[in-house]
Amino acid sequence: MQETLTTPSLSGPSQSSISTQDRSSTAGQTSSTGPPPSKPSTIPPPVKSKGPSSRAGVRRMRRIIAEDVEWSLAIVPLLTELCIQHIVKNFQNNPILKQLLPEHQKKVLNNLPPNLPLTVTANLIDDENYWRRCCLQRWPVCHVDKHGGSWKRMFFELHLGNLLKHFIPSSTDPAVILNLLPLCRNYVRTIRVDQFLPPVQLLPPPQSGDLSDSGSEGEMEELATDHYQLGDLVAGLSRLEELDLVYGVKDCGMNFKWNLFLFTYRDCHSLAATVKACHTLKIFRLTRSKVDDDKARILIRSLLDHPALEELDLSHNLIGDRGARAAAKLLSHSRLRVLNLANNQVRALGAQSLAHALAHNTNLISLNLRLNCVEDEGGQALTHALQTNKCLTTLHLGGNELSEPTATLLSQVLSINTTLTSINLSCNHIGLDGGKQLLEGMSDNKTLLEFDLRLSDIAQESEYLISQALCANREAALQRALNPTHFMSPITAKGPENPVG
Amino acid sequence: MNPRGSLEVLEEKEDSAPILGPSIHSDNPQERIQARRLRIAARLEARRREALGEYLDGKKESEEDQSKSYKQKEESRLKLAKLLLCGTELVTNIQVAADIREIHRRVEEEEIKRQRLEKLENEVKTSQDKFDEITVKWEEGKQKRIPQELWEMLNAQQVHCAGLIEDKNKLINELQQELKTKDDQYVKDLKKQSDDICLLLERMEEQVKNVMKSFRQELYHIEKAFEAERQELLTSNKKKWERALQAHNARELEYLMNRIKRVEDYEKQLNKQRIRDCEEYNSIKIKLEQDVQILEQQLQQMKATYQLNQEKLEYNFQVLKKRDAESTVIKSQQKRKTNRLHDVLINLRSKYNKQVKLFQEENRSLTSDYKRLVTQFKELQKAMRHFALIDDKQFREIWLMNEEEAKDLISRAFDVDRIIHMQHLGLPWTAPDFWFLRNVGPISQQQKSATHILEEVLMQAEEEGAEESESESYLDLPKQVSAKTTRKILMLLCDESGFLIEKKLLGLLLPLEKDECYMLRLDAIFSALGIENEDDLYKLVNFFLKYQAHHLPPPQEQTSLVSALEPVEQLVLQGEKSGSLAEGEPQEQKPPPSPRLIHPNDVLKILEAFVMGLRKPRDFQVPVKLLKVVRDDSKDSEYWKALSTVIPSTKQNLWDALYTALEKYHLVLTQRAELLVENQCLEQQNTELQQLLQQYLDSRINSELQAPPTQVFRVPTK
Repeated sequence: MQETLTTPSLSGPSQSSISTQDRSSTAGQTSSTGPPPSKPSTIPPPVKSKGPSSRAGVRRMRRIIAEDVEWSLAIVPLLTELCIQHIVKNFQNNPILKQLLPEHQKKVLNNLPPNLPLTVTANLIDDENYWRRCCLQRWPVCHVDKHGGSWKRMFFELHLGNLLKHFIPSSTDPAVILNLLPLCRNYVRTIRVDQFLPPVQLLPPPQSGDLSDSGSEGEMEELATDHYQLGDLVAGLSRLEELDLVYGVKDCGMNFKWNLFLFTYRDCHSLAATVKACHTLKIFRLTRSKVDDDKARILIRSLLDHPALEELDLSHNLIGDRGARAAAKLLSHSRLRVLNLANNQVRALGAQSLAHALAHNTNLISLNLRLNCVEDEGGQALTHALQTNKCLTTLHLGGNELSEPTATLLSQVLSINTTLTSINLSCNHIGLDGGKQLLEGMSDNKTLLEFDLRLSDIAQESEYLISQALCANREAALQRALNPTHFMSPITAKGPENPVG
Repeated sequence: MNPRGSLEVLEEKEDSAPILGPSIHSDNPQERIQARRLRIAARLEARRREALGEYLDGKKESEEDQSKSYKQKEESRLKLAKLLLCGTELVTNIQVAADIREIHRRVEEEEIKRQRLEKLENEVKTSQDKFDEITVKWEEGKQKRIPQELWEMLNAQQVHCAGLIEDKNKLINELQQELKTKDDQYVKDLKKQSDDICLLLERMEEQVKNVMKSFRQELYHIEKAFEAERQELLTSNKKKWERALQAHNARELEYLMNRIKRVEDYEKQLNKQRIRDCEEYNSIKIKLEQDVQILEQQLQQMKATYQLNQEKLEYNFQVLKKRDAESTVIKSQQKRKTNRLHDVLINLRSKYNKQVKLFQEENRSLTSDYKRLVTQFKELQKAMRHFALIDDKQFREIWLMNEEEAKDLISRAFDVDRIIHMQHLGLPWTAPDFWFLRNVGPISQQQKSATHILEEVLMQAEEEGAEESESESYLDLPKQVSAKTTRKILMLLCDESGFLIEKKLLGLLLPLEKDECYMLRLDAIFSALGIENEDDLYKLVNFFLKYQAHHLPPPQEQTSLVSALEPVEQLVLQGEKSGSLAEGEPQEQKPPPSPRLIHPNDVLKILEAFVMGLRKPRDFQVPVKLLKVVRDDSKDSEYWKALSTVIPSTKQNLWDALYTALEKYHLVLTQRAELLVENQCLEQQNTELQQLLQQYLDSRINSELQAPPTQVFRVPTK
């Protein structure tokens, strides 16, 4: 008894309220913009529906009418309801949305299945709710924040990334991707692809013997290990801002072959041309792709004087001093704000050339040279450059074989420089004396907020004192941030991410 | 600033707050300016207050809110920041550890690589040597012909090759071994990394959990603190609100009552007004209806008159038409007549011309006659004047003589009187004081002649130069004008109306002094103008002043002209005159509004007007003057009579009485004198008798006598 009462009680009022609202609107719709085929079917119902609706209006106030034996809460669905259901059912063939009234549109969108073909929905539906459903249906984990808070954009970006990930050159039809282009060109701003499949080699049957295998691989590399060429796609995407690529294969398991992870010269050239042609690109990431000096130089040459580029990330590659020199040249020929060369093979020479470029640069905010082999020569050059630089806020020199001389120079810089907010010197051999000198430098500094000195052979006491000084600086910065404007989010929490975002 | 204005401004300000620029709608520009100023001031004030308020708020927050919420917030923030920092450090520690392991690995790898490369190089060298050896031996083998040797050598070669290959294989095996160990290492590393990642995940999860928990807790604390604060605020605000509400209710009730009262009042007033209006309306309506009726009647009448008039006019029209016809006839007649008359006119004109000539001749002769007569008359006058003067003189002399005589007599009488009074009556005597006693010369009310005044004026002006103080007291001029002004005017007159003076006189005047010259000239002018006495002179001066006051053109022009003529003198004159006139003004009935200069050019006009004005009174003044010339001697007799009766009749009576008394007294005195004489005689006889007695006494006889008589009686000792 209770069940029967409760379940309709939820739907009852809503239906009736909608019915009162819709009576006039359906009439208006049928007279103005109703599609011709559905017209004969929609005209009679208003006449019929008047009776029940009016009766419903009378009885709406009452849950139960005890004297009426046949009374039931299940009301005959309204014509508008039926129409909407019909529209939803036939949406694929006959998409009617824009002509409807706003509340009807909402209803239709709420009832649409998320697996409609994109050709229908892509340019027609802007409703975030629908796309949210689509996304949640396809991917269990969705970070909409990474896509500018737009579910539609997220859907298209993920969908495109997915297609690219599973694209196999020479076997997959390129039209699969190019057909999507007109549908997603207005929504995609970021392309994140963490694997590019090489063309499948059907010819060589599995051979026993490692030598011959490796030999054949060497030959075939030159022939057909080029990956998908992004040029056409990127040229079509007019709003592309971010390109995040990894030339590699994921989950290869026991099918591992070296040539799966090969970033060929053709790939490199085509990517360079693509990037150069894309004038809206702001962020370019190419990581874990075995980019060596020559390829880096090719890429960077194409990026010189790029109008929009702000962030370049070439971490986890094989870039050496020549590549670093090219990057240094890029620094002075672009508006680059973030440069990431983590985990490469940059040595003292490369660091010196970077330092030279850095000394008079006014754009770069963040420089990451983690896990390189800069050593004291390069470290000293970089710290020396910081004396004149007035822009850099974040510097990562973790794991660079630095030692005391760099620390002494850095301590001098710390007392002069007022722009640096974050320095990372972890995993170096700074030593006890270096730590003391850094502490001295810190005592004069009021702007540094983060100073990572973990695992760098520093006495615990000085590390503690440095952290105390940092804490004081952070408090001061917080006060500074709070005073001009009320209740801003503290900078310390987001400090290093700000320039990126 | 009235409150209404400021309110308006405020409203306006609110209305037009977003619109900048001159958008304050007002008709009065002043008001707009005012409004804008106010608005600017308000804005500045607001900004200042905002800054101040912010500052104060901040302060307050730091002071008051520290109590609960602020403190809580600060605490939680610090706590959470620490937590976050520690957590991130904990999480990133793994990465750092991995990094340092990687570095160590790289260093080791490099070392191993270097060793391996060395080893390989060594091996290459040795194997190359061996290979070279073998190849050399191949050369040797080609030279060998003996199969056994060749076989041996081949065997040896084979052994060598096998050795070489074995070496290589060994190396390969070694390398493969290494590879395998590396593979194992790699697998281990992979495992290690996966462990690390697991650890990382675990820590992250833990961190997330921790952070979430602590955040929730802190949030709860903060919320609690806020809740408490809010509760307090709510209660206080509620109290305030209730108080305000009560006050508001009371006021509202008051307003309501007031309003009800007012509404009732208004209703009453409305009703009254309505009734009055109704009555008024009715009366007006009746009046208007009556008016309408009257007007209709008038309209009818007007219509009737209109018709009548129309008929009349028609009739008139007819008549006029006829008259017109008649008038044309008359016109033609008149034309003829004019022609005739014209002829007559010509004739008459010629006659008139003749007549004119005739009359001119006659006139000439008559004028010559007249001139002659005039000269004769003048001579006669002169003679008369001369005689009159002489007569006067004579009269005066005689008068003086008589007067002197009379005065002598009178003085004698007075002397006598005084003696009588003082000596005989013993009374104090006062000399009687009569007007006529002081009079010298013939009595007359004769006015000073104009020339005399002139002289005085001029003299006075001269004196004025020396001592100004006396100026007012002397001449009794101040009727309306000061002496100075008069003098100025007279000078002006003298300068300007030289034409009135005869040329002969002018020639005579040349050698004379300036003042005298003026005197004579003025005399001549006055005689020409007919000014004879004081009154006339003052009339003239006053006339000048008034004329100047009434008829003067605008002053600027005037002064400019004047200054062009005689700059210094005129200016001085003006100043003086203004000063002098200021004195005279209060007496004047119609003072000249502003003392101005008399332009020399105006003098003639003024004179003309004056003469015209003077002529009328002069006409009937002539006989009067004649009478005046025959001096009235009514007073003379009186005077003389008075002189004769200097000693009044009472006094004369007194004198008479005195006389008789004195007569009597005289008589007594004469009698007495006689008696005295008699007495003297007797005395003389007495003395003689005495002497005789003495003689008798002194005679010897006495001594001889027994009883001398001297003893007997006392001889009077005289």
